[in-house]
Amino acid sequence: MPAACAAGGEGLAEAEPLLRHCAEVLLDQIVRQTPLPAAFDKKIRGSPLTACLRPEPAAKPWRTPGTGLEAYRHWQQWRRRLVAGEQAAAFTLGFRLEEPPGEGEDDWALQFIAVPKDDPSQRLALSDYWSASTAERRQLRGQLGEDFETHLLLNLGLAARMVPKLWDGLDTAAPQAVALDLDAAFTFLTEWAWVLEDAGYKIVVPAWWTPQGRRRVRIRLRSTTGGKATTAAPNASGLSLENLVAYRYELAIGDQVVSAEEWQRLVDSKTPLVRFRGQWVELDREKMQEMLAFWRQHGQETAQMSLQEILRRTATDEAFEVDRGDALAEMLERLRDRGRLEPVADPPGLKAELRTYQKRGLAWLRFLEQIGLNGCLADDMGLGKTLQVIARLVQEREAGEPVGPTLLIAPTSVIGNWQKEVQRFAPHLTTFLHHGPDREQDAAAFAGRAAGHTLVITTYALARRDQALFTALDWHRVVLDEAQNIKNPQAAQTKAVSKLRARHRLALTGTPVENRLMDLWSIFHFTNPGYLDTQARFRSRFELPVQRDNDPVSTATLKRLVEPFILRRVKTDKAIIQDLPDKLEAIQYCNLSREQAALYEGVVREVERQLEEKDGIARQGLMLSTLMRLKQICNHPAQFLQDGSPFSAERSHKLKRLQEMLEEALAEGDSVLIFSQFTEVGAELERLLRQQLHCTTYYLHGGTPRSRREAMISAFQDPQGEPAVFVLSLKAGGVGITLTKANHVFHFDRWWNPAVEDQASDRAFRIGQEKTVFVHKFVTLGTLEERINDMITEKKALAGAIVGADESWLTQLDNERFKDLIRLSRDAVVD
Amino acid sequence: MAQLGKTWWGQRFIAALEGFTDRGRLQRGRGYSGESRILAFAVSDGLVTATVRGNVNPYYGVYKEPRYRTRIQMAPIAPKDWDKALAHLGSNAALVAKLLMNEMPDNIDSAFAGLRLHLLPASRKDFALTECSCPDYANPCKHIAGVYYRLAGQLDRDPFLLFELRGLSRERLHQALSTTPLGKALASLAEDRSAPIDAAESFFTRPAPAGATPDYRAFWQGERRLPSEIAPARPPAVPAILVKKGGDFPAFWEPEGSFIAAMEELYRRVREKNKDAL
Repeated sequence: MPAACAAGGEGLAEAEPLLRHCAEVLLDQIVRQTPLPAAFDKKIRGSPLTACLRPEPAAKPWRTPGTGLEAYRHWQQWRRRLVAGEQAAAFTLGFRLEEPPGEGEDDWALQFIAVPKDDPSQRLALSDYWSASTAERRQLRGQLGEDFETHLLLNLGLAARMVPKLWDGLDTAAPQAVALDLDAAFTFLTEWAWVLEDAGYKIVVPAWWTPQGRRRVRIRLRSTTGGKATTAAPNASGLSLENLVAYRYELAIGDQVVSAEEWQRLVDSKTPLVRFRGQWVELDREKMQEMLAFWRQHGQETAQMSLQEILRRTATDEAFEVDRGDALAEMLERLRDRGRLEPVADPPGLKAELRTYQKRGLAWLRFLEQIGLNGCLADDMGLGKTLQVIARLVQEREAGEPVGPTLLIAPTSVIGNWQKEVQRFAPHLTTFLHHGPDREQDAAAFAGRAAGHTLVITTYALARRDQALFTALDWHRVVLDEAQNIKNPQAAQTKAVSKLRARHRLALTGTPVENRLMDLWSIFHFTNPGYLDTQARFRSRFELPVQRDNDPVSTATLKRLVEPFILRRVKTDKAIIQDLPDKLEAIQYCNLSREQAALYEGVVREVERQLEEKDGIARQGLMLSTLMRLKQICNHPAQFLQDGSPFSAERSHKLKRLQEMLEEALAEGDSVLIFSQFTEVGAELERLLRQQLHCTTYYLHGGTPRSRREAMISAFQDPQGEPAVFVLSLKAGGVGITLTKANHVFHFDRWWNPAVEDQASDRAFRIGQEKTVFVHKFVTLGTLEERINDMITEKKALAGAIVGADESWLTQLDNERFKDLIRLSRDAVVD
Repeated sequence: MAQLGKTWWGQRFIAALEGFTDRGRLQRGRGYSGESRILAFAVSDGLVTATVRGNVNPYYGVYKEPRYRTRIQMAPIAPKDWDKALAHLGSNAALVAKLLMNEMPDNIDSAFAGLRLHLLPASRKDFALTECSCPDYANPCKHIAGVYYRLAGQLDRDPFLLFELRGLSRERLHQALSTTPLGKALASLAEDRSAPIDAAESFFTRPAPAGATPDYRAFWQGERRLPSEIAPARPPAVPAILVKKGGDFPAFWEPEGSFIAAMEELYRRVREKNKDAL
């Protein structure tokens, strides 16, 4: 607890007593303020409860002996005994129901067992305890506590108080079990077990009663077309596929089909538990009667239902189930259990090697689209959602059939990255960026241009503003990157996006959507409209029960509902870790803002002129200072201008993207390092992140005193600490220190020497690091950053030879090549 | 006025008295069972002695408020019979468990059955001595009846008292019980009935001043990471479960109705009425 919570009153207070005090006062207040009818007051008149329930606690405690002292003594004794039964014992008393050994119906037994608290997996039957020798018993008491027998009897007595039937088993010197008849056994399963479990006793029931082992009465759907979904004609609502499945109904218990006659016989039997084909089954007669009526009405017909409808019905109504032996069940199983997805081969046209989980992701995307469902790919940041989508674009084009353009809607800060990644991984695919003041406004011309490209990229803002252009087209697919952008169902951009017509829809997000229910609804409203019902009904059916009441049934139902549509792998999954290298480097491309571009061009023009006039040291100096100034502009206009103007994310896509990525990382509980070579950026970054993300931040630079530096490092490394952001200057923080708490490293600007950068990244990537380290290097497109980056990656060998410890190797370039290096490509500018 | 004899054995005690005494007479004694009438009350070696405040009655020539000395003693059970009864007691888990919970087992007399004896009184013969220094020659007089009721109330709280009234001292009881494993359990409990009272200085846990002043970061953010998710609390299937474990009619409970029922209602109402806050 932060000490701030413990402040107030007379100075600071210890956390625990304060928390207790607070909880007790609040609870006391709640109980005292509860309106109670006069009839209730009468029931408790004369008891200590009356004083406990007065609106205000008595001003003075009881001090005079005599009044209430006797009652207090009794209360204290009563309380002590309860507490002792709860806490003092070294074991938990338990009850294990055992079914009749032979063919009989009524010789059930409820065994008493003791479960040692230090080894809860062990279960000692009391019958074994009593039949043990004195020496063995003494040994057992070593584990169960010296006063085992006292606690045993006390606990048995307390249990018997709630379930009087237990007294029957206590009429002996060695209590070990109670015999139950069928009805009593059923009452135990349905009532007593709950009471006893709530009261802290361990309950062991037969496997067939557990949620996993229970054989339920069901109406099964058996597909008549062998599970093959037939693709119906596009329906009126757009181009979305309705995959219809023809099926029939069957009555079943567990895995076994039951004829209507047998079903009727079971309904007619008088007992709640029935031995059905060798195993005990609970029968809910009323429900079975209903099912039978349903089956009598529909059993003979062959009906059709869409896959979505089948998924919804089996998720929300327990009575329905798809026949397990059926191909349809196999299909649904593949949707629910991703382990069953076979990774596909890399598409030949893809210039990348997919990792196994990415191949699974690709298989999932394809499978989902083949059966006409729309999903949400929600992998953790850094696992390569972009690459999986690009792989799908490549894959579907290799199938031979002509494929229309996919529309990608993404935040402005990532559109450059998308373009660059497509170029890199699938250079044969073409992208078309719809953005900027000169963008196409004519519907026909837009449609024409779009048709010629694989991927049309635009932003959320334009998806709304140029709605008319986008809705005029039938897209092959609409992809939403950072789909949490449509989390507000009322927002105009959400509505605009939902109106798009597409054969397939795909949402990408790195935030855990399953926990934010309205976000979830909104995303589903885009991918599978209607699947989660209307917003109002979703709210009353799921949001309120799950988030306000923590209702486990609604939570489980919702999970079953959405599970098939969401693929979320987290980087801490064992299977994923196996698949990842220990360190993963990725370039994060971003664009220059208009303001940055203007400043950049100004510098370039000035330098081009000066370059001709200088030579020797002066020329080298000019080149180095130019590199420096241009880098500053690529970071943020304010850094270059040094005019005190706001260091805001709106003025730099790089900063914006950094902020978005940090939010995601921190939401996951990860800590990060950010390196910059500029002290002024470090300070600004630290301040901005502290103020806007409200996270714990540290800033280490050349001027940090040694003691402060040590304190920051140990605070950051504290395993109990909050996830934090550590901003470091490359020079001061690039060597020597260990910051393995971080598993994301950002290089905000670049030092054009891979060795120096690697050394900095290794602050997180060294002994003690247990997670995969993600290194993100920012590169602004169309600027010297992109060109130098390309030079380094393309000519690694060459770079190794000429790249020195600093950036002076760049000054070896002749004037023309230098001008080429720093030139700005206007098409990479995005507002 | 609290009801005395709320427990089945307390009621049985009174029912037994009612069986062999004039009911009306006994009823009049009810008013004499409270603290205002019984000035002193003690049980020692099975003998109950009490000092009861009488009434001024000029008709009988009583002008000064009188104090009567009342004594009651039940017929003791012979030591050798006790040994047998205790042996039976110590070998029956149900009996011991009930007594452990401070309840008189409803089949307690089964321990005495083979001996043609019983623990709870059944007839006048079970009372060896009932005397009062008041001028009323009838027995029971109001004072004796008052002490009877007081005794029934004491029995509600302390079923072990009946053993003492039947001539088995607490020490002997303890000793005898210790010889069987189950009885040992009971014996350890019989000891703690005179535990001292813990005085509470405050209704609530008092905040304690913290020692050192934390640094800024710890002050605002704490030293440990707060859990990002808190597992939802599942409402219990049955209300007042802990209270139920304690049994109905605990000693401090004076009203006539069931303590558990009252607590169940309280839990239910508190939960329902504070849905938004809880």
